[in-house]
Amino acid sequence: MKMLRSIGKWTVRQAQGLSRLLAVAWSALAAAVRPQFWPSPVRNVLARQILFTGYEASRFISLIAVLVGLAVVLQAQVALAKLGQSSLLGPILVMVIIREIGPLLTNFIVIGRSGTAMTTELANMKVNGEVELLDAQGLDPFLYLVLPRVLGAALSIFCLTVIFITVSFLSGFFSGMLLGANTGNPEAFIRSIFGAVSKADVFNLILKSFVPGLLMGSICCIEGLSVGAAITEVPQAATRAVVKSTAALFITSALVSLVTYL
Amino acid sequence: MSAVLEFRDVSFAEQPPYECGLNAVSFSLAPGELLLVRAPEGRPVTPLADAASGLLNLAAGEIIFDNKPWSARSAGEAASSRGLIGRVFERSDWLSNLDVDENITLAQRYHMRRDPAEALEEARALAREVGVGEIPPGRPARVERITLLKLQWVRALMGRPKLLLLERPISDLSSADAAAFVAAVNRRRERDGVGVLWITDSHEMTNDSALRPTR
Repeated sequence: MKMLRSIGKWTVRQAQGLSRLLAVAWSALAAAVRPQFWPSPVRNVLARQILFTGYEASRFISLIAVLVGLAVVLQAQVALAKLGQSSLLGPILVMVIIREIGPLLTNFIVIGRSGTAMTTELANMKVNGEVELLDAQGLDPFLYLVLPRVLGAALSIFCLTVIFITVSFLSGFFSGMLLGANTGNPEAFIRSIFGAVSKADVFNLILKSFVPGLLMGSICCIEGLSVGAAITEVPQAATRAVVKSTAALFITSALVSLVTYL
Repeated sequence: MSAVLEFRDVSFAEQPPYECGLNAVSFSLAPGELLLVRAPEGRPVTPLADAASGLLNLAAGEIIFDNKPWSARSAGEAASSRGLIGRVFERSDWLSNLDVDENITLAQRYHMRRDPAEALEEARALAREVGVGEIPPGRPARVERITLLKLQWVRALMGRPKLLLLERPISDLSSADAAAFVAAVNRRRERDGVGVLWITDSHEMTNDSALRPTR
């Protein structure tokens, strides 16, 4: 009976957490489509968030993309050429890089780099009473703190994923050329990639980058703003945010794959 | 003339973070009036200013600001109405991730949609008026405490507030420093009809002739 009760409590807690997450993500989306109602400080925070999460992360994302290009794209080219199956290069790379590795790795990097920073910043603001300060000045903490972070994270992750995919293809192709692998001409390479991209892949890419970004931003804001008055709660909130964001990433990724390709 | 702020039998139980409660508090504050409230000794954190801003769930009573009870306002309407209140905070007074000038102009840019340059120009003029001089660049953490307190005056006086909530705004300052602020407050009382709720723990303040408290 005791065990049953604890399972019930756990289930209720998870359901409440999920409904809170979806409510925040939905409210952010609803507010995002009405930018005419955003005061200029909200736009400033959004711009800063995109600068931090998107622009400042782009160099690191590009570096990882170069290494993935070397490891995956180059190998695929060489192996398929040996097997006489170079025509499969486009479909295989689209399946591996565009559908899976690109969105997953980009999200991972952003969760580790920006998700923790976002949670810690908000948690510190909460502990220091800065959220109450906003409230007392009549600034809506959702509009000022949550919306720009959630939207900034989602937009940045989408853009970073596109950068990741582009750079990994380019690095794979050009490293193949430099290393003397049988890579064919650039035009054929580009044609084989674009020829293999379907509408479902584009849909998949948008969903797998934008939705986990939206959820990651919402999770980090919820965790950051849910701390109490103790400074020791800040790192705990950051840890929870990373774990939950990673879980949300994998669940979303799996669901999108199922919906798109099955 | 209708009151800017009115407390009707307001009660609020003592609870963290506040160190005292409110027990059947009633008063009204007409435009241009200054109500000086002497807080209990020992600088306890009082809920009075938060209550006046409509931030508390009261145990009993009603608080009316600008002719409408806080309880009758939607969340959005209440937030907008708080944009009409200038406040000097005793606790948690600055956003650490914004520069001092951004902090000062934030509420004006948010509520009144003012151009940042124009809001900053007003902030600079106010800083000169209350004797701060130039607004220091950078984050609040890099500015000394006394300057930050004076800069809170600037923030509170920005725009044309209907109500000023001042929580120990001149504590630890010399009387010369305080005089500039008192003069600035009095000017706004006369010119704009600002109602002022001034919370102090100083005996001397209650007899300060420059302050000219109404009650």
